[in-house]
Amino acid sequence: MISSAVRRLCILYLALALSVTEFLPLGIPLLGQDISLPTFESDIVPILKANCLMCHGETTPQAGLDLRTRDSILKGGKSGRAVVPGSSDKSLLIDKIASKSMPPGKVKLTEKEIGLIRLWIDKGAAGGEITVTSSKRAANDVVSEHEVLPIFQMRCTGCHGKRRQEGGLDLRTQASRLKGGKSGPALVPGKPEESLLMKRILSGEMPPPKLLYEYAVRPPTTTEVETLRRWIATGAAAAPTAAASLEDSSDPLVSDSAREFWSFQPPKRPDTPRISHQDLVRNPIDAFLLQKLEAKNLSFSPQADRLTLLRRCYLDLTGLPPDPAEIDAYLKDDGSGAYERMVDRLLASPRYGERWAQFWLNAAGYSDSEGLIDEDLIRPHAWRYRDYVIRSLNSDKRYDQFLTEQIAGDELFDYKKVKQITPEIIDKLAATGFLRMVPDGTYSTGNASVPERFNVVADEIEVLSSSVLGLTMGCARCHDHKYDPMPQRDYYRLSAILQTAYDPYDWMTPAANNPYELKFPTRHLDIALDSEREEVARFNAPVEAEIKQAETSLQAKATPLREKLLDERLAAFPQSIREDLKTAASISEEKRSALQNYLVEKFQEIVKITQQDLVKRFPDFKLETENAKKNIDALKKKLQPKPQIRALFDMGGEPSTAYLLRRGNAQSPGDLVHPGVPSVLKAGLAPYKVVTPELNRESSGRRLALARWLVQPNHPLTARVMVNRIWMHHFGTGLVASPSNFGRSGVPPTHPELLDWLATEFVQSGWSMKAIHRLIMTSTAYRQSSHFDPAVHQADPENALLSRMPLRRMDPEALYDSVLKATGRLDLTQFGRPAEVEVTPEGEVIAKGSNKGWRRSIYVLQRRKTPLTMMEVFDLPPMSPNCIERRQSTVPTQALQMMNSEVLRAHSRYLSGRLIDQFGEDRNKQIEELYLRALSRRPTPEEMRVAREGLVELEKQWASHLENTRQEAPKLPTARWFALAGLCQSVLSSADFLYID
Amino acid sequence: MALKPTATSKQNVFDRRLSTLSRRDFFSGFSYGLHGAALAWLLGTDLFSANPSLAPGQEEGRPVYDLKPRPPHFPPKAKSVIQLFMNGGPSQVDLFDPKPILNKFAGSAPSRDIVNEIEFANEVGSLLPSSFKYSKHGKSGIEVSELMPHLSECVDDIALIRSMYGEHFNHEPALYLMHGGRTLPGRPSLGSWVVYGLGSENQNLPAYIVLDDPKGLPINSVQNWQSGWLPPIYQGTRFRSEGLPLLNLKPREELPSPLVEAQRTLLRRLDELHRQKHSGQPDLDARIANYELAARMQITATDALNLSQESEETKEMYGLNQEITASYGKRCLMARRLVERGVRFVQIFIESQIWDAHSDLENSLRYSCGKTDKPAAALLKDLKQRGLLDSTLVIWGGEFGRMPLSQVRDNTGSAGRDHNPSGFSIWMAGGGVRGGMALGATDDLGHKAVEQRVSVHDFHATILHLLGMNYRDLVYQRHGLNERLTDQFPARVVSEILV
Repeated sequence: MISSAVRRLCILYLALALSVTEFLPLGIPLLGQDISLPTFESDIVPILKANCLMCHGETTPQAGLDLRTRDSILKGGKSGRAVVPGSSDKSLLIDKIASKSMPPGKVKLTEKEIGLIRLWIDKGAAGGEITVTSSKRAANDVVSEHEVLPIFQMRCTGCHGKRRQEGGLDLRTQASRLKGGKSGPALVPGKPEESLLMKRILSGEMPPPKLLYEYAVRPPTTTEVETLRRWIATGAAAAPTAAASLEDSSDPLVSDSAREFWSFQPPKRPDTPRISHQDLVRNPIDAFLLQKLEAKNLSFSPQADRLTLLRRCYLDLTGLPPDPAEIDAYLKDDGSGAYERMVDRLLASPRYGERWAQFWLNAAGYSDSEGLIDEDLIRPHAWRYRDYVIRSLNSDKRYDQFLTEQIAGDELFDYKKVKQITPEIIDKLAATGFLRMVPDGTYSTGNASVPERFNVVADEIEVLSSSVLGLTMGCARCHDHKYDPMPQRDYYRLSAILQTAYDPYDWMTPAANNPYELKFPTRHLDIALDSEREEVARFNAPVEAEIKQAETSLQAKATPLREKLLDERLAAFPQSIREDLKTAASISEEKRSALQNYLVEKFQEIVKITQQDLVKRFPDFKLETENAKKNIDALKKKLQPKPQIRALFDMGGEPSTAYLLRRGNAQSPGDLVHPGVPSVLKAGLAPYKVVTPELNRESSGRRLALARWLVQPNHPLTARVMVNRIWMHHFGTGLVASPSNFGRSGVPPTHPELLDWLATEFVQSGWSMKAIHRLIMTSTAYRQSSHFDPAVHQADPENALLSRMPLRRMDPEALYDSVLKATGRLDLTQFGRPAEVEVTPEGEVIAKGSNKGWRRSIYVLQRRKTPLTMMEVFDLPPMSPNCIERRQSTVPTQALQMMNSEVLRAHSRYLSGRLIDQFGEDRNKQIEELYLRALSRRPTPEEMRVAREGLVELEKQWASHLENTRQEAPKLPTARWFALAGLCQSVLSSADFLYID
Repeated sequence: MALKPTATSKQNVFDRRLSTLSRRDFFSGFSYGLHGAALAWLLGTDLFSANPSLAPGQEEGRPVYDLKPRPPHFPPKAKSVIQLFMNGGPSQVDLFDPKPILNKFAGSAPSRDIVNEIEFANEVGSLLPSSFKYSKHGKSGIEVSELMPHLSECVDDIALIRSMYGEHFNHEPALYLMHGGRTLPGRPSLGSWVVYGLGSENQNLPAYIVLDDPKGLPINSVQNWQSGWLPPIYQGTRFRSEGLPLLNLKPREELPSPLVEAQRTLLRRLDELHRQKHSGQPDLDARIANYELAARMQITATDALNLSQESEETKEMYGLNQEITASYGKRCLMARRLVERGVRFVQIFIESQIWDAHSDLENSLRYSCGKTDKPAAALLKDLKQRGLLDSTLVIWGGEFGRMPLSQVRDNTGSAGRDHNPSGFSIWMAGGGVRGGMALGATDDLGHKAVEQRVSVHDFHATILHLLGMNYRDLVYQRHGLNERLTDQFPARVVSEILV
């Protein structure tokens, strides 16, 4: 393998070979001689001028990067230094140009040019004039307050800030620093050595080492201490923090031409096109689709048969197949409009919300555990948000209201002053769980420091931008967006909107019960219905009594042992003292006399007997203690948590000052930022404007303003993104195939007019999601057969024009739920705490059932650590932090799961038993019923034949196998039962069941 | 999505059409006799070798992901990888990175910046020298501590990197970084990227296999080998070293094979009926082939892990006859058998945190070295004697190292060491790695990597390079963006350790 240095030389020689004449003037010599180095002025500047300076030059240095001089290159931009002298591999500039991500247009740098720049960097990136290798500033440069405020916020204001002013000191403002605390002014401008705050930091007194852990704070670094010192030395000037509004002026970083991209412009309602086959048009969706099909001389495929449509609609809207009675009812309704009536019935079914909530919960990143660290702490109250979503969808809540409640439900009313708690109030607050779902390990001391807190906020922004805005804003956390006109600043403006609720410098623990005893308040609201509190109390009372009893009984056993141990220890003492000591020790502290107190204190070591001392001395007691503790712990696990709401809420008061973070690094704060929305979204919109919420005057209104800005009727993205996702879940692919990226790097819509028509229709219908479902499902397009026609396929190979219905595989939730429904094991209990899961000795994660059966997957504990195995192997996506679009794979573990898992076998045997109960020995009837339950149709004669033959063979095999076992049960009936179960399992494992036609 | 980023999206669509057509045409012609054909496709025989494609194919406008072997970007040195993951954070100062100067400063207080990056800031002790002896080994004279007598015999085959550094002092984020390239969860693991890029040489076994410790999963459990947003086909598959190798490989109840066969035949016949009604749906072919593969895996997987075929001498070499080494030795031997069968990436984990010596440093290290040193060295020797070491990259290391300070807990007797992400040691061997060299250095105390520093991104870039892949070009399109193992971080191939 050639070394990198040699490789670079090779590049150079290659370049030489390509254009000798250009190189000769530089004095590039022949092999074997020294190479004269490229110089900045003569070699590098021309390249930069030709390719880079139009954006990284004088007028608008993009990303803050100015490439005109060597010094400005070394200084770098928002993403940090552009060049590391001596190491081209570590230089951002090389990374960008070598990966061809820069320059952004079609023209890239040639290998020769890149080779030259590399060589220049590797040889020290020397400039023509003076070589200053250090980016350190001169000692007398004035340091701004904006360089030290982040240090205070990160290391000090937890105790000397908004929540607490230890020693009377508040370090947030210049005035309060000068005023100081009990020990005097914290700051003496110009004199670091006299400033108390410097003294305390330098002596290591502050931040107090003992408190670091519980406040999740780290002491300032050497560089930070030096910055503080120089700030004070250079005058400790305060800096203005006034808002610079972008809304009223033109934005230097985002041009109007950048705003012209289709998805940044409001949707315009198009006219419904006229097409030749008007008879196929049931609603405008068909007209838009046919327009494109007819242009290629294509049309829709014929309509699928009634039962295929029935199964398709059931699985699409409810995630469950119809049962035989439902099939029967549908077939009996032969009047016109039977299909539409069926769709309406399904839309009105409570199963609809349970099905479609799953998609929204994925977009929100819903999980019943915190994730991130191994412990994966369970979130005992997350389910309220899940229930909120299900209820909202079932009641067809307007999407604008649905969004507003989730983003700012707490700002819609003054929940602190409400007298009577109602279910509606709880719903509005639980709605804010939307932005409480990402992985969050900050409940643990080791994972709660400032950078980790920023990660939580970043994930929430990812959720918000990918699910609601359809934009990939995550890139702009560390640098200006590469493809979309979103400067890094806009990311931090968006995160500043959340800062009154998620303040990385004033953190709250995500956990309800603060297991690590961090000194943060909890991000849960103690709001519950009285009835619910009583219910929990009622449930807990007997368990608590049991715990109390266990503790008392352990104590009772300890008391004589304690006395015995004390006697043993006192044996060495003279009789007189012994008695006195014993008496003194037995009296509680407040009742002791002065002498007794003295004695106890003096002989502390002797008199004080800890639990540890006891178990050390009495091994039997050790075992007993351990067992009792185990018992008590188990009992405690049974306790229901007190009802609370996992919510996001405004913390009141001024939040910390927000900064852009260079490279996304919490320790490299840059410019000040103010709350705002992406500047590129401006067309047709009223600007983002924060006003104090009318009904909650104590709240900042930042998030409510965001919600109001988002739900403007002609917002370019809100309605488009949502109708596109609804479309995607019906047809497998969205009109925009990249549902979370409507930006420049996303996929352009296949039918832009249709997308806009649907988006405007969505808004006009009062943001009704059910209206969109109804439109889609009653279209001719949706009713097509999935039949594959090679001729049509040639013309529409990707089925992008929807010349047929795609054949779709069930997603893991539909598969799991459908198996339960088909086998008669489904427990339809709605809402509330999730069903628990358990891990079998083999390592399979399964849900716990009850005598009512097993609950739908949406009601099973969705803990990150323990996804249900059956769903996991069928591509259940991990929530990291969310999932908008799912991927499907076909892997052998799926086959193993269906063939060998105990779960499917048990369900199959159950169904088999019921079929035998119902139809006795009538095989045809058994098979017919099985087909109806699983596949929503009767078997064809051929299927009937195959099924019967299979049954006979299985029965024969089971009979012979059972002959050889010592099974007690009557052998023939058992063989029949197991054989039919085998058939059930085969049908449930079959492609026919798994795929939606 | 492609190994190489395509220039424009138009180009992309064009490529996509081409591959769609070829594959679909192929299948439409074989609609009924699909069995052999679908299998051949799935099993990656040379059906497509005339036109090898770097990118997985496309169907319905969606990519089809599989494990067919794909050619790398350039000729590779290594064909497969065995990663001996030392979760918990081995103490470099006591194992690989001698710092005699610590003896001089023993008991001194650490600096402000060290305290700033320690996990338990409230348990900071003082500078703590190693109590283990170092000596020079092999022709190269690399210094290794007395705790690793067996590895010491192999130093001329390894490249020891003493200048690794990470980004986080906690296990979880550090493990995310070592596996996925960032300190956050949800990204594809190194092994997933490798099999995404190269596929596998053996289609009857998973391409990326994890041998975890029967005593328990490591921290971050299955997330260590997840495929994140790469398709699940690229995630690591856990093979258990005791009992059935794979979950649900067989039904719980032992059934005679005619019965199993009858059941399988019935399902196959039902699927064929369904397939006849749905022509032009390659998904269905893949599905049927997968059932066949699953059935075959019952044999191949069991066979791959069956150590009874190994000689007594080999078993002795791996320490299978001694209690302390038996469990880890077994998995090292299994790893060799898997690599022999063409498995691309094998990862071995050890019981939770044996290297995580927050207290009782000496005993703790004696235990963890006792358990792993002999088997790891045996693996190197065995691969070498079978001529497999040249094509197999072996990697040894954890998610970080340990502080040259003592950590003192109130309730425990003897001191330990806290985590240290700023400087730690790992080694690599075989597969194009130069043996008998030690690269880089930490500072005088053994705290920070200072010379020839190797970041985790450099580490990843180097592994990909040895496998014939350029880290910049191994990309996956997500939300319209090109994702890489090294994300947007600068990285370099550590060319100093290459042969």
